[in-house]
This record gives sequence, C-alpha cells and structure tokens, in this order.
Amino acid sequence: MLKLFGAVLILLAGTLAGFHQAARFAARPKQIRELILAMQRLETEISYGFTPLPDAFRRLAGQLGEPLRSIFKSAANHMASGSGNTAQESIQRSLHDHWKRTAMKAPERDILHQLSFTLGTSDRQDQIKHIALAAQQLKHEEALARDEQAKYEKISRSLGLLVGALIVILIF
Amino acid sequence: MWYKKHLLVYKRKAHGLKRRQLGGGRITNPNWLELFPDRIKSILLRLPRELLGKLEEVRIREGRPLEVNESGGHRFVTEEGQPTLDGDKAYRPSRDDSRRFLDLISNHSLYTLEEELRKGFITVPGGHRIGLAGRTVLSGGKVEHIRDISGFNIRIAREVRGAANAILPFLYDERERRMKHALILSPPQHGKTTLLRDLARQISSGGMEAPIAKPAGMKVGIIDERSEIAGSVHGVPSFDVGPRTDVMDACPKAEGMMMMIRSMSPDVLIVDEIGREEDAEAVTEALHAGISVIASAHGSAPEELQNRPAMKRLMDNRMFEVYVLLHRSRGKTAFRIMDRQMRLLQLQAKGEANHA
Repeated sequence: MLKLFGAVLILLAGTLAGFHQAARFAARPKQIRELILAMQRLETEISYGFTPLPDAFRRLAGQLGEPLRSIFKSAANHMASGSGNTAQESIQRSLHDHWKRTAMKAPERDILHQLSFTLGTSDRQDQIKHIALAAQQLKHEEALARDEQAKYEKISRSLGLLVGALIVILIF
Repeated sequence: MWYKKHLLVYKRKAHGLKRRQLGGGRITNPNWLELFPDRIKSILLRLPRELLGKLEEVRIREGRPLEVNESGGHRFVTEEGQPTLDGDKAYRPSRDDSRRFLDLISNHSLYTLEEELRKGFITVPGGHRIGLAGRTVLSGGKVEHIRDISGFNIRIAREVRGAANAILPFLYDERERRMKHALILSPPQHGKTTLLRDLARQISSGGMEAPIAKPAGMKVGIIDERSEIAGSVHGVPSFDVGPRTDVMDACPKAEGMMMMIRSMSPDVLIVDEIGREEDAEAVTEALHAGISVIASAHGSAPEELQNRPAMKRLMDNRMFEVYVLLHRSRGKTAFRIMDRQMRLLQLQAKGEANHA
C-alpha cells in the first residue's frame, strides 16, 4: 500500500517536473518577445521623449508584466537612489537579483549585460543603434527559443512522466 | 546619511563666515557635494572646513591632479584631503572617477544633454554649472557634441542674498519710478551672475533690503540661456529670484527677450552675457518698448566693448543709462558706476557682491 503511494508520488513529481520544464520552454520566447517590445519602447523614449534613463525604466516597468517588470523597476530604483550607482552597475545588479525568476537563458542575459555598458553613456544616435542591435540579437534568440519550444515542449511533458515511471520501475 | 552631518556643520560654518565677510550675504544651496562620486566626495569632505566653505571651483581632470579654487587661489588636493601646491602628491582622478561623475551629473542619461554638450556645459540642480572638455565631434563644421569627456570644471553657484544692496540705489530712477537700463561689465568669475540674481530678487520683491525709497515690486523677466541666473530644474528656479519673476530657461537670449516682451509684459528684463548682433537688436527692441533692461557682458572696461560691433552700436546709441564695472580682488568685490556718457558717478565703492 505504502509502496503504491510512493510510486504515485514519484510519478506525480516526475510529471509535474516535466510540465514545469515545458512551461519554461513555452514562456521563454514569450518573455523574449516582451523584452524586444520593451527595447523598442525604450528606443522611443530615448529618441523622441529625451526621457532620462531612470524615468524611462520606470515607465517601461509600468507597462510590462512580471517578471520583467521587477528587473526594470529595481534598476530604476538603484539609479535614483542617490547612492552613486552608475547606470551600468544598477542594471547589472538588477539583472543579478531578478534574472532567476525569468524563463530566459544566458544568451539573453548577456545581451542585456552588454547593453548596460553603453546605456546612457552616449548620444542619441549611438543609443538607438545599440538598442536596435540588442533588439536584433534578441530576435535571433527568440527564433532559436521558438525552435527549442517546438522541439522540446511536448517531449519534456511526456519525458517527465516517463522518467517518473522509470524510477518507479527501477525501485520496484 | 553620514555626510549629511558633515554638510550641516559646514553649512553653519559657511553661513557664519559669509555673514562676517559680506554683511548680510547668505549662501543657501550647499548641496553641491552630492554631485560627486563617493571617492571624490570623501576627499573633498576631508578638506579643511574653512576652505570647503569658500570653494568656488572644483576641477576634475582625468589622470591629472584634482584641483580646487577659492577666491582666485588654486590648490591641488591630496588623497587625504589636504590642500597642496605639489602636483605630484595630489589625488589623480581615474577614468572610473570621471566616468562615474559624468554618469551622475547626466542623471545616467547623456543623450538628454545633446544641447548642453554642444554648448560645453551642464547646469545641475542647485544652479551649479559644470563645464566639460573632451574630444569634440563635428558635423558640418560645427561642434555637434563632446565625446571622451575627461575634464570637468564644477563652478559652485552661490546665492548671496544682499549682493546687490550697494548697487541697487544707482539703478533705480526715483523720479520715474522705474529701473534704469543698465549694463554690468566684468571679467568672468567676478560676480556678474550673482549680482543679476540678487537684482532680480530685490527688484521683483520690492527692494526691501536696499537703503532707498522702497520701490514697489516690479514684474521681472529673466532670460536664462545658460540656466545660471535662476538655476532652473524642470523649469522651476532653484534660487530665490523673487515672487514676480518669470524665467525663460535655456532660451536663446534674443528670441527669449522678444518672447517675454510679447507675452509676459515684464517691467524689467534681465539677461546674462549679451554680445551678439541679435542680442543687441533685441535689447534695442526692449528699450523702445519701454522695458528696462539690465544686462551683463564680459569685459573689464567699456572701452573693450568698442571692439565688438554689436556692443559698440548699443553704446554709440547711448542705450544704457548706467554702466556697472565689477572688479574683484582677494575675495572682495569693488564696483564703479558710470553714466551713459561714460562719466564716473562714484569711485571704487567697496561692494558686497560675491562670486557666482
């Protein structure tokens, strides 16, 4: 009886892990898309609005959903805190604190990390170029992420159940 | 925060100091230390209090000694915050320091300062002005902006209430109850802007402090092309420029004067550093419209103005009724007043003006 209960638990855990993994595969392109849109909005804020970076980030945060919102919000807060953080430090610290909550992976993070070095430190044209470049790279990552989603989303769902089943068989 | 305490002490000391020296002058915005990145701020805070209270300029040059300037005396600063004349012992701001400083003064957004970079300086909250030096980028033969910025000159703005006390009586026409058209002449750093600011405040609020028949407050329009007189941030002056004062911030002088005349019906127009052809035209326009103009220009003597065509025309037409010549030596400002025929009205009065 107890064995049966354990087996069910293991199966359940495996399945859930599989679904979770699948959800991450599905969420990644979505979040990258959202990030690209955020980049485009940032570009507009900079090129037409002359909005200072902290304000622009705060506005972006207001329009975005979680988990991207907290990245931009905390970066804006670091910048406006008056404790002498540069834009670069603020963005990098915020990435460090909040990246884990997103479904995105290292390449996207690297793109933002790279962008943090130039954001706010040059004239408009240069800013726009860098942001456009980041958006371009993100689009590339998005395409890759979609491929991965198509390949692995269903597999990981069934794989979870199967791994659970395998463990159960091995244990018995 | 820990440095707030220091600031308070320094504020109190600075006040006491200035009061003795200037008789009524008061400094109201000692927040300039907040501009600096932590490392340079801590060095500056270790400077002797007396010196810190009198600082007029702080110069940051990447890889070269940190320099401070008070009342004409230049000193380098060591890492321990000691003033020195030996450049080798001085603290040398690193690339990181200057990058950080630029990031802070631009509110992390250099791209919002394109106009400022074209002109070569930034005005920050508190009315302080930061001059920039670096490599310029040209476009069509004109400076488009500055990149690789490595030199900063922080001019600490001082609001000295009462700076205009001694001069104001000469500028007021008691019979006609209006201000005279005046031109203030002085070399850079001799207190033009501070004087204009206090003039605006006192004319606008009604000359309560000047020892003359109390004139009623007048409407004052300030054209503040370099955001220096009012130190406006988001259009709101950071200095007290009086209750009836309108400020046209960051506006080209000539255009600003015309806009003010058309729309704000000022009694007195105050402009800083006129000199170009179109400025002279706008001044003439204002004078004909019955508006008193109080302007300033670079130069130490009226004769120098003869070399500048636009100013020469203004003088030849006897547009200004009063010329005020400022001269400062060892922290004391003296001034001379001349009438429209260049006759000296009053000799070497000891003034109470201070540097902006």
